[in-house]
Amino acid sequence: MSGWLKKHIIALKDLERREIELIFDAAQSFKEISQREVKKTPALRGKTVINLFFENSTRTRVSFELAAKRLSADVLNFSSSTSSLAKGESIIDIIKNLESYHPDIFVIRIGSSASLRTLTQYTKASVINAGDGKNEHPTQALLDMFTVKKARGTVENLKILIVGDILHSRVARSNIFGFQKFSSQVRVCGPSTLIPYEFDKLGVEIFYDLDKAIEDVDVIIMLRVQRERQALSFFPSLREYVDKFSLSPERLKRAKKDCIVMHPGPINWDVEISSSLKEQLHPLILRQVENGLAVRMAVLYLVGTRKK
Amino acid sequence: MNMKILIKKATIVNYDKISEADILISGDKIVKISKNIKEKVDREINAAGKHVLPGFIDMHVHLRTPGREDEEDFLSGSLAAAKGGFTTVFCMPNTSPCIDNEGLANWVREEAQRIGLVDIWPIGAITKNREGRELTEFGAFKKVGCMALSDDGNSVEDSFLFRCALEYAKMFDLLTISHCEDKNLSRQGSMRESFISSKYGIGSIPDISETVRLYRDIEIARYVDARLHLAHVSCAKSVEVIADKKEHFPGLSCETAPHYFILTVDDVEKSAFNANFKVNPPLGKKEDVEAVRSALKKGIIDCIATDHAPHSAAEKELPFEDAPFGFIGLELCFALVYTYLVTKDILDIKGLVEKLSYNPARILRLGNKGKIQEGLLADLVITDLRKEWEVKKDSLVSKSKNTPFLDSTLKGTVNYTIHRGKVVYESTGL
Ligand SMILES: [Zn+2]
Repeated sequence: MSGWLKKHIIALKDLERREIELIFDAAQSFKEISQREVKKTPALRGKTVINLFFENSTRTRVSFELAAKRLSADVLNFSSSTSSLAKGESIIDIIKNLESYHPDIFVIRIGSSASLRTLTQYTKASVINAGDGKNEHPTQALLDMFTVKKARGTVENLKILIVGDILHSRVARSNIFGFQKFSSQVRVCGPSTLIPYEFDKLGVEIFYDLDKAIEDVDVIIMLRVQRERQALSFFPSLREYVDKFSLSPERLKRAKKDCIVMHPGPINWDVEISSSLKEQLHPLILRQVENGLAVRMAVLYLVGTRKK
Repeated sequence: MNMKILIKKATIVNYDKISEADILISGDKIVKISKNIKEKVDREINAAGKHVLPGFIDMHVHLRTPGREDEEDFLSGSLAAAKGGFTTVFCMPNTSPCIDNEGLANWVREEAQRIGLVDIWPIGAITKNREGRELTEFGAFKKVGCMALSDDGNSVEDSFLFRCALEYAKMFDLLTISHCEDKNLSRQGSMRESFISSKYGIGSIPDISETVRLYRDIEIARYVDARLHLAHVSCAKSVEVIADKKEHFPGLSCETAPHYFILTVDDVEKSAFNANFKVNPPLGKKEDVEAVRSALKKGIIDCIATDHAPHSAAEKELPFEDAPFGFIGLELCFALVYTYLVTKDILDIKGLVEKLSYNPARILRLGNKGKIQEGLLADLVITDLRKEWEVKKDSLVSKSKNTPFLDSTLKGTVNYTIHRGKVVYESTGL
């Protein structure tokens, strides 16, 4: 009915433009439902969704959980930080074990990059990637794109700027692949140590100077600075990072007038974005969260009801 | 009475010459090579149409014993070696416990002799528990017959300690084998730093991690004039350094492994990050494969070793970044070299013998191996160069099946392996 065929949603690399559009269409209708008095639909009644989180991420998990519940699916949350697992080995054991409950969809967050294709071998269920290492975070990029589409009417032929730690960012990678499918141009800007090797081959433009990078852009995605990572070998201090890469009101003026600023959250105010922009930017960033729910309902719905 | 074997109508391939003759083996030696030998023997093998090569010598295997006998033991390792045409293998000391004392080294030799299929010679650790802090007793290793030392898996980080190791090894005429890796640059990566690693956010190891350490090791060895052998050379930059240094430093030798002249990062991507494609040093780019091929052709790389590294199925089923490094190689090496180098005119069959038999024997100073010659040990492989076969999981005799070449079709089979005058492998599908 929806025309959706893919069993898994693992990477935006693998999705076609047409499929992304289907997700946007579905997200739009779920967004409308979420504004009604009764927010629930019976679309996935009788289906079981397991949220399997091997990394802590309350925000993403909550969003997926609510999305599944609004679709009337039965939801099981299984969280286990990798540290409490003996070794990666038991991840497969856990999946095999949960497979006994005959789930329809696994939503998986995991620390190892590009690992979900391997894990699909151990289950009959569909797998939705909720973030795999530094590889991809498809639903985050889909919700970013959906937010842009809602605000600007299109995701096509735009200039997108992603700022910060590109090297460790699955959000950056997914957004790059997603926006590129719509002929939008992607720029990345960050400390040279945090731009991946040969990254220009991906067809992105690389900048080290935010003042230049920001010129003329339609969309800015500010990435979270991972203070906890051994960040200090990549740049000397937060002070210098802020000086070079923080979004200030002056810098923002160089972008297009109607430029959209997004952040996957949680924001370190005055690190990624100057707190003086809070009032101006926060509403849209919160709308991302709302759109995230609609997008996650959309992917669960499409995968859960696909024709077999 | 010595057991006698007569191999009739053999095409004998040495590193320098191909000839047609019969080979008479008595006891553990080749006693006569000439046309039309008439002799009453215990066994006659008709080798018409087959190529007879000197038994292969693998300078770099991991037999996982002691410690991980579930992955490989001396028997399964010996069977795999014999099936692949290897009559001599050198096993690395990264076992548990580590082979860092002569007692354990001697035990390895005794166990191998008890099995008696192939020669298994232990490589002693350079430092205790391969931790890079204190030297092991090289003299004690020498007494029990060790010929080489290595901390394989680790590089000796402390440059002064490495200098001492090389100088001290010289006193016992022991060969030092270097695993060249700067682990600060590798940063626990899983594949070669490349466009592919960047595209998938996979932790990556740059080629300079190998090359900078290799450069250091060569210069230290040259400074103290000690023999140095570089393990598993994998990239173009390293080849460039070796080509340059070899001119000035005859004590330098090196090996590569079959995967480095066949596979690239693109194959890792195509496998959808199957851990059977994860190895250290990691698979390189196209230009690396080309550089390794050309270095083999030009003699910059002396030999081909397997770096046979068995791992359990459970460990290799893990996600790519979580799985251990390494491929098995003993049963496939000959056919891989034949298929990817000889049939592609990069080496001729004599070149194959040079890389798999003659040069390893020369580097390790095994005077009675590496050639088919009267008076030398009867370590021989009888091969069929026309025959194709498919690599099937179930037909591998190694306890572990972790190879990226599963289900590929290769050319060249081992029909017989003769070790010290004894047939230790005989293919059934003749
Ligand atoms: Zn090694």
